[in-house]
Amino acid sequence: MLSRIPQLLFYGLVSGSILALGGIGVSLTYSILRFSNFAHGDMMALGAYLTLALIPVAGTLGIPSAAIGPLSFGPRFIVAAVVGMACTFVIVVALDRLIFRRLRKAGRITLMITTIGIALSMRNALQFFWGPQPQYYTARIQLAIQVPRLAIRVKPDQLFVISVAVLLVALLHLFLRYTKTGKAMRATSDNPSLAQVTGINTERIILWTWVIGASLAALAGVLAGVENKFITPELGWQMLLSIFAAVILGGIGNPYGAILGGVIVGVSEEVSTAFISTGYKPAVAFGILVLMLLIRPTGLLGRRS
Amino acid sequence: MSLLTVDQIVSGYGDMEVLHGVDLRVDPGEILTIIGPNGAGKSTLMKTIFGILTPTAGAIAFQDQDITGLSPDRVVRLGLAYVPQVENVFPSMTVRENLEMGAFVLRGDLRERISRVTELFPVLSKRWKTHVGNMSGGERQMVAMGRALMLDPQLLMLDEPSAALAPNLAATVFERIEAINESGLSILIVEQNAKDSLRLSDRGCVLAAGLKCFEDTGPNILANEDIGRLYLGGE
Repeated sequence: MLSRIPQLLFYGLVSGSILALGGIGVSLTYSILRFSNFAHGDMMALGAYLTLALIPVAGTLGIPSAAIGPLSFGPRFIVAAVVGMACTFVIVVALDRLIFRRLRKAGRITLMITTIGIALSMRNALQFFWGPQPQYYTARIQLAIQVPRLAIRVKPDQLFVISVAVLLVALLHLFLRYTKTGKAMRATSDNPSLAQVTGINTERIILWTWVIGASLAALAGVLAGVENKFITPELGWQMLLSIFAAVILGGIGNPYGAILGGVIVGVSEEVSTAFISTGYKPAVAFGILVLMLLIRPTGLLGRRS
Repeated sequence: MSLLTVDQIVSGYGDMEVLHGVDLRVDPGEILTIIGPNGAGKSTLMKTIFGILTPTAGAIAFQDQDITGLSPDRVVRLGLAYVPQVENVFPSMTVRENLEMGAFVLRGDLRERISRVTELFPVLSKRWKTHVGNMSGGERQMVAMGRALMLDPQLLMLDEPSAALAPNLAATVFERIEAINESGLSILIVEQNAKDSLRLSDRGCVLAAGLKCFEDTGPNILANEDIGRLYLGGE
């Protein structure tokens, strides 16, 4: 049982990377738009399906599908995923303009219920177009490789998932730390009324928040599809509890907390399977969530409000 | 020509009207202090001038330009800067980042402006990388004023700059305000405990129950027994 732990730690890092990418958007939305976005999971699924739809389109443009090195996918898939991310944020920004913008002054509860409505609509729209059955990005089968000296087996795709997450997190860090827009986002999350007083255009910051949050959500959905080998319309919704647990664990409103929380929740969920049935995985996230809310509701990196 | 003219402003929060037609004038280069009891509408007036609240009647002009109902991010570009009473810093950002945010609407190199601000507040230059949330109340007030000065405004609006500060720190803040004013900047101060502020003001006025009820020079207001008894804690 214990001998499985290194392997489970690795799986945890893979799923933690995906949770972290999803959690960043939830955290940014919470700190800048001031509500919990229950549609975030379905934005992940939307990104995963848009990518699926774009693979043949990229094919007609002559982008080769041959796998890159040991990975199970090629340039065609990567192009489809990048365009899928862009399409996702365009749709999400349109939703903001159509729906959320009218509700800027509404209370948190109104906004939260609105996101639940959007979540249901989005999920059912995906089901309407693609059906409830799993869809596959690729039929290729990838064999895990034994890592010498470490008692773990890894698939190249999994290393790709972790690398992409690390790269994106690093880019996000540079963006928030050193660009004018990134600093303005932090300022807005810190103190929205003062941000306005300094001349920051809040609507522009909200736009950036959706663009970043939705793109990373779409990427998380695609990477979940790469890791799981299939996607369903439920893909994001099923991960939402873990994502919220991760975000609250790290300290809601702090994107770095979301990253840390994502990795911890991902690892905890996977390692728990060495001791309890896999069916209880969601209970682990739930347990972390309840425990954190009882002991330290501001989260590990959260600040007092 | 006056710098700022407030004409019969009616404003408040939602259905609650706080200001019932206030007139106000700030001349170039002067310090004007508005005093008045808690709930008189002092902060409401500041917020309305700056466009955080939209007046339901009346007009506000800055340098003969109508700014009534303009949003804060537009107002700030015209040369007004505002330091709110509370939550006037970005706590999770460093001192330097707070100052940079003050000049958000500007492009280009900020080094010269930053060095000008640190000349006024030397204590800040030693604490560049400190997160403002970890600083004391007095230091935060310096950061807040420094942030507002980054834009090189023509009118600085301070909402209770000495509130919640120890007396010696309050004295430092007022000394800085005087120094800022000497460089030619007009200053509009709102104060509840206003003796220090009135002492360095060219003019003062009393706001009570949403109406301006008295206006005179700073020294005259300090000398006025009725106002002293009613609004300055008596003698």
